[in-house]
Amino acid sequence: MSAPILRRILSSRKRPIALWVLALAGVSAMYTSVFPWMEKMDLDDMLQAFPPEFMEIMGYDDIGTASGYIGSAVYGLIAFALLLVFAIGNAGRLIAGQEEDGALELELTSPVSRRTIYTERAAALWCQTTLLVVGLFVATFGVSLALGMDVPVVDLLGATLGLWLVGGLFGTITFAVGAATGRRVVALGTGAGLAVVGWMLNAIGPTIDMDWMGTVSPVGWYMAENPMNSDFSVVNTLLLVAGSAIAFVLGWVRFRSRDLMT
Amino acid sequence: MSAAIVVENLVKDYGSFRALHGVDLRVEVGEVFGFIGPNGAGKSTTIRVLLDLLRPTSGHAEVLGTRDLAAHPELRSRIGYLPGELNMGGKQTARAHLEYLADLRDGAGTDRIEPLAERLSLDLDRPFRGLSKGNKQKVGVVQAFMHTPELLILDEPTSGLDPLLQQVCLTLIKEAAADGATAFVSSHILGEIEVVAGRVAIIREGRIVETENVAELRHRAGQHVELTFAGDVPREAFDGLEGISEVTVQGRTLRAVLRGSPDALLKAAAAHTVVGWAAQDRTLEELFMDQYRSDA
Repeated sequence: MSAPILRRILSSRKRPIALWVLALAGVSAMYTSVFPWMEKMDLDDMLQAFPPEFMEIMGYDDIGTASGYIGSAVYGLIAFALLLVFAIGNAGRLIAGQEEDGALELELTSPVSRRTIYTERAAALWCQTTLLVVGLFVATFGVSLALGMDVPVVDLLGATLGLWLVGGLFGTITFAVGAATGRRVVALGTGAGLAVVGWMLNAIGPTIDMDWMGTVSPVGWYMAENPMNSDFSVVNTLLLVAGSAIAFVLGWVRFRSRDLMT
Repeated sequence: MSAAIVVENLVKDYGSFRALHGVDLRVEVGEVFGFIGPNGAGKSTTIRVLLDLLRPTSGHAEVLGTRDLAAHPELRSRIGYLPGELNMGGKQTARAHLEYLADLRDGAGTDRIEPLAERLSLDLDRPFRGLSKGNKQKVGVVQAFMHTPELLILDEPTSGLDPLLQQVCLTLIKEAAADGATAFVSSHILGEIEVVAGRVAIIREGRIVETENVAELRHRAGQHVELTFAGDVPREAFDGLEGISEVTVQGRTLRAVLRGSPDALLKAAAAHTVVGWAAQDRTLEELFMDQYRSDA
């Protein structure tokens, strides 16, 4: 496999990728390492002060265990937000952004097919997302081991897989919209807008007794009640995969036939 | 003789705006063909159809014998394309960009990056982003020529280059043509490419208005001549001379449009004392104005 386009993107973006991996791993390790200290303070008293709806929206209802804490504070919030910011921002640039600023013109007029350009650029998104979640897993697991926290590795792997898929899904949607329209703003708006709506559906649904809201939201497929819960859902995992696959194909159908560099 | 480019009744719409209204072109293998027209006339649109960036609304384009351009991306390994406005972005050096483009062509042309850069005095180790417009244009020229393509499609190749480098660029086109390559070269200024082009097509508002030998076109466009005399001259002495039109006399200065040989004008002028002489090629825009008038 030679994949010149993929190789080129990864090698030319070594530094930003490394910075993102370090940032995501670092912030997540920091959040994780706070848990034993929080556990010693009597959190329950403090948390009682918040209205239960707030706790539910923020996913803090089972913040009392190490696993629950990592699920809500790290995988459910900070790492989730950072990964989505990265995936959506990166995906918006991969075709639409580079087409808009003209940087894609000579690649598009080289003897490489549109199919190759589309697939290798999508692969670049997934490779980078993979590096980020691998770094996240290593950091979180490392800290939990070092501090003797009770975090089942299987649950952490399940949450990592889910986060990878949900980050990849919103990234792929952004990428596909960018490839279909050639407009970065449209791509970013769609990706970020859907992510926000998805998060709100999943967060607010249960508090107003509308559980279907979480059921239709990709964020709900990932988080359910807590990304770290031990009943791994095959259906939700497949839904995330299918979502990416559909976005990928729809983006391709348009990219294949539209006018480029207009 | 077979054709390198055949465009038949090509129509291209952008939404409700029709950019091309049925363009016809035929460029023979081995010729240097100029594609002339003012900005916004449809030059780049036509070129982008040839490279399969744009898909025709109707009509079709055939390049190097291939009709279904979308199905044959590999065809582009035989084409050297210089975009009208080149951007590559990033902090990468010109060399890294050029090596990447060679990589996309299975390495073809890698060995010509250095010698071409040297000829154009291009510093390969500076980041592309920081290059001046002229230096960016040089990077574009290198990548268009480096794999010695059969067909060069150059969109405004001389724009942004200083006169010396324009010459180098034109020499590169001549050399490629001498080796049997075909060149399709656009410009909004006839003068910039007339020394290399054999034939030119003129496009205006999405229509080819003329396909002609450069020499014939140049003859028709003519020159502005200005003669200054030691004393006042009568206009009647110059009216109706062969090849002379639009004569005006202001005191000691005579202005006219000259097409073809200046012999008659010079002989008439010799009857007086000539103290100054200037001639300037008329622009394509002026040629268009002639056309308007004859159409009206």
